[in-house]
Amino acid sequence: MNYPIWQLEFAGGGLLIAIIAIIHVYITHFAIGGGLFLVITERKGLRENSQEILAYVQKHTRFFLLLTMVLGALTGVGIWFTISLLNPAAVSKLVHVFVFAWAVEWVFFLTEIVSLFLYYKTFGRISNRTHLTLGWIYFISAWLSLFVINGIIDFMLTPGAWLETADFWDGFFNPTFWPALFFRTFLSLMIAGLFGFLTATWIKEEKLRTNMVRYCAKWLLAPFVLFLGAAWWYKSSLPPHLQDLIFQEMPEMKLFIKAFLVSSPVLLFGGLFMAIRLPTKVSRPLAGIMLIVGLVYLGAFEFIREGGRRPYIIHDYMYSTAITKSELPEIVQGGLLQKAKWVKVREINDDNKAAAGREIFNILCLSCHSVGGPFNDIRKLTAKFKPESMKYIYESMGGSRPYMPPFAGTREEQEALTYFIFNEL
Amino acid sequence: MDPATLLPIADAMPVNWLWFQVLLTTTTFLHLVAMNIMLGSGFIAFVAPLAGGEQMHPLSRTVVGTLPYSIALTINLGVAPLLFIQTLYGQFFYTSTVLMAVFWLVIFLLLIVSYYSVYLFNIRYDKTGHNSIMLGLAVSLLILVAFVFINNISLMQRPDSWLAYFKNRSGTLLALDDIALIPRYLHFMLASLSVGGLAIAIYYEFKRRHGSEDVERWITYGCNWFSGSSLINFMVGFWFLSRLYGTVVNPDDPAGKVFFLFVAASIISIAIAVINAQVQRVYKAAAWVMATIFFMTMAREIVRNIYLRDYVNLTELPVINQYSPLLVFLLVLAGAGGLIYWMLKKVWSELEVKS
Repeated sequence: MNYPIWQLEFAGGGLLIAIIAIIHVYITHFAIGGGLFLVITERKGLRENSQEILAYVQKHTRFFLLLTMVLGALTGVGIWFTISLLNPAAVSKLVHVFVFAWAVEWVFFLTEIVSLFLYYKTFGRISNRTHLTLGWIYFISAWLSLFVINGIIDFMLTPGAWLETADFWDGFFNPTFWPALFFRTFLSLMIAGLFGFLTATWIKEEKLRTNMVRYCAKWLLAPFVLFLGAAWWYKSSLPPHLQDLIFQEMPEMKLFIKAFLVSSPVLLFGGLFMAIRLPTKVSRPLAGIMLIVGLVYLGAFEFIREGGRRPYIIHDYMYSTAITKSELPEIVQGGLLQKAKWVKVREINDDNKAAAGREIFNILCLSCHSVGGPFNDIRKLTAKFKPESMKYIYESMGGSRPYMPPFAGTREEQEALTYFIFNEL
Repeated sequence: MDPATLLPIADAMPVNWLWFQVLLTTTTFLHLVAMNIMLGSGFIAFVAPLAGGEQMHPLSRTVVGTLPYSIALTINLGVAPLLFIQTLYGQFFYTSTVLMAVFWLVIFLLLIVSYYSVYLFNIRYDKTGHNSIMLGLAVSLLILVAFVFINNISLMQRPDSWLAYFKNRSGTLLALDDIALIPRYLHFMLASLSVGGLAIAIYYEFKRRHGSEDVERWITYGCNWFSGSSLINFMVGFWFLSRLYGTVVNPDDPAGKVFFLFVAASIISIAIAVINAQVQRVYKAAAWVMATIFFMTMAREIVRNIYLRDYVNLTELPVINQYSPLLVFLLVLAGAGGLIYWMLKKVWSELEVKS
């Protein structure tokens, strides 16, 4: 409402962010757990005086660097760019409230870059102690990045006392901060094991390969119980109405909850199966499949968390339409087209009904609905209704449809929107 | 329609605007230094073998070997000014970004391809030798990214051009109607060639001082790029000046006076840098180039302030006045700075002992 709207059709409804975010989140969790994996495995190699393990760590580091430093880092930039385009008002709020948290995260990322490059380039060239220290500095910096980002991400779901105080620390250390931090930390360790499978199954020497694959299985399996405990804690920390919304009232969430629940035993038994001495013909494709299952697992969780915010983008503060809760009564009273900045049509008449409907659709619908795309396709969703029954949909928004924000506009604007949907789309 | 009516309402800043102005200017300066080194040296590494043949491959190989680090640092150092510009000028920046959404979103994809091309060039060098296509692809994409960035920065400071949104909402607008766009872009690109050339000279000067032989020609080569590009850029700079809004170069305007002082300072400092480079005093030349980039960064900020002063007064933006997060940031920055220094020093000293 405050900003112009990128008129996406097919890719509307969050498709772009879903694609980029899932890739990014998966790799960045690897960047954290994988950092610890590197130093602990190097220490294991040194303790066992095994040049083979050390050589494996060096190769794994190259893979790790190429994946996290390029694809991981740049999809992070991609997320920032994408959300700035899809919901600039929300990003502006998050940047202004948490600018110094983002800045701290930037500093940690700089430390990660320097320490990881030095770690990678100095294998066997500096003392073991210094080399391990570099690895530890990398891991701690990466985990501290998580610490910071976690505060901001969970602020969007549970802003807690910030809603009353507008205090940075209230928003940062919000009600789900700690459980989410433990949840993501354990998950990152498991993901380190999953990526470990990918490189360990390609070790040529059979005995070492078996040992390292089993070692990676421990990384996947050992944190599992703690992870499930943190997941339970995370769920319990959500306010009761949010729990109801996510786990009972939102039909779309069922698929993702199911995917998350089904993937848990698959990962568990897959990890145990990998620990068996397997021929490479089996273990290598299996490592790839396990990695995909991990992606589905994390993706399902992120969808649940993101979906749980609905109808808000910042819970209880700003709707996904970028309209704040406090602005809503005035808009309902005076009209969206009167209040919005980037609209051409202010007054609705018979000649401009479609154009007015387009403006309203852009502001109120596009953030969650695509036109002919895979995400919440408005054509499919409205195909079963008649124009005259749309008013019941608008009335149920924010009520019996709690995942949609209340309709932010007048009755006349509702009619224009209906006209547009049924005649122009 | 008055473009001022389109201006989004600014969110409140946590601390006084001056903090963000200082942070924005400082981090922009650091980003520009890194970006110039990366882009300029990368471009030279690409064209040197095309013009000079195989004898230039060692230079090219060495430069491309440093690109993974300079690209990583440039991106990282670009994040901070992007953050602070969003805090200070978010209502302008997000708007221009949405207007050119498609191009803006493509940036990170171009960077991924470019970055991996550089890594592939390095990884496969021993097997396949110098791969001009891969390097050319990497450098071309970086040049393209710079063009998109320049467009966004141009678009954000000209709200009068935003009205084009009502004819095109597909996120494919650019600032092509800005008469300053092309000279601004050329000015930045030539500055990259200058700094990239000098960075090559510094690299080999460092090697020479640590006992490497037969590096004189590369020092001269780098200095020639620096001097040549700087002289051409001097003329492009005047072209750029002539295309800015009249108020920027108005000597009666106080901001125009300050702008003039910074431009004059940058002309003097770059002239001294070129003189030093001609006699291969590359470290001294580098110091003067740093001063030039700083003066130009300041001039850049003043231009933006003048362009946008009809739309915003930074001193009147809402402020919450919560300083504790700023304090935490400054402490973390100092701590991390010390840690990075320690890591580099420690590694360097151990490598020296081993060699």
